[in-house]
Amino acid sequence: MKILEANAGALTNYEVVDFLRSKGAANDSTRVLAQVSPSEYKVYDYLVQTAACNQTREHINEFVDKCKIYGLAKAEVLNIINIRPTSIIDIYTIIEEGETRFGDETRFGEVSKELAELVEKTLPPPPTDPESEAGINEGKEETENEEHNVETKGEEQTKEGNDDGKEETVVGQLMDTS
Amino acid sequence: MFYLSRIEHTFRVPPSLLNLPIEEAIKGELEKLFLDKVIADLGLCVSVYDIKSIEGGFIFPSDGAATYTVVFRLIMFRPFVGEIIAAKVKESNATGLRLSIGFFDDIYIPAHLFPKPSSFKPDPNKKDKGTWEWEYDEEPYIIDGIDEIKYRVHNVSYPPIPIEQPKEAKPFAPMVITGSIDEDGLGPVSWWVDAEETKES
Repeated sequence: MKILEANAGALTNYEVVDFLRSKGAANDSTRVLAQVSPSEYKVYDYLVQTAACNQTREHINEFVDKCKIYGLAKAEVLNIINIRPTSIIDIYTIIEEGETRFGDETRFGEVSKELAELVEKTLPPPPTDPESEAGINEGKEETENEEHNVETKGEEQTKEGNDDGKEETVVGQLMDTS
Repeated sequence: MFYLSRIEHTFRVPPSLLNLPIEEAIKGELEKLFLDKVIADLGLCVSVYDIKSIEGGFIFPSDGAATYTVVFRLIMFRPFVGEIIAAKVKESNATGLRLSIGFFDDIYIPAHLFPKPSSFKPDPNKKDKGTWEWEYDEEPYIIDGIDEIKYRVHNVSYPPIPIEQPKEAKPFAPMVITGSIDEDGLGPVSWWVDAEETKES
């Protein structure tokens, strides 16, 4: 074995989830049929509990564009996307030596606050409490279906979503796939 | 957290796979070889991302199989030093905490990387298990194992494979992450949710 390039690019958690989903990983009973190995499922099961679960490529691109002005290191941006910190103190821990980089402590505090707000605005929240988690999971399964027949059945799915009282998640997911 | 690594490897594709298209046969063999394995300094292999090139197919004398040289990319789990990761408590004893992120659970927080002053309270019912407490403003903050714990990656090591292992030793771990929670914002998530609220109010 020869290692040609140890680091051929970093992936966000979202990209790994997306890759596993494209291989057929999902949270329903079809998982035994999919071409996904048990070890890959372990990774998938961990990642769907994180913030990566509801992210899309658009969310991430938007966030990366918007935080360019702060001149953060790539690793820091990646870490922010993966963890999705929404409080100032979480941002503080991720950004190294912020006080010297942004001048002084007050300026760093402002930057952290702006970043926390930006994260809240651009990146979707992870499934936290069990209730909403169930809703999102169901919504997601519907999305998996939609991916195959999004044009024809898109509207029907929304209607079903309304009946189930999960309007928000389903509509959100629809926008994601479109 | 996750990286792509480009690797070249020469290996034998057994003739039992001749009925499959070559890409599929090779992908299957690669998955068998690398999936869920740790490559020293590269990390834990999560998945085969893509195959860049397949060359060769040479059959060596007195060998009944074709040997291919394949260039491919793997998705590796390799945390970088300084990264913040959230994990769940797996074990808590006098030497520190052991955390798990589902697919990987050789994450250790040693006692000297706890916020100071921290102390260990042994549980009389369970042998050498217990809980850790951090004392701040004369109030104890307990690591109870319910919350997720955020830690900073302090070090990632790839211990060499032991030649001889004592009988009662722990199973060999090819990749070990050492984490630190000695910083503001790290440790159980609930510690800082409360802190934020009191600050705002």
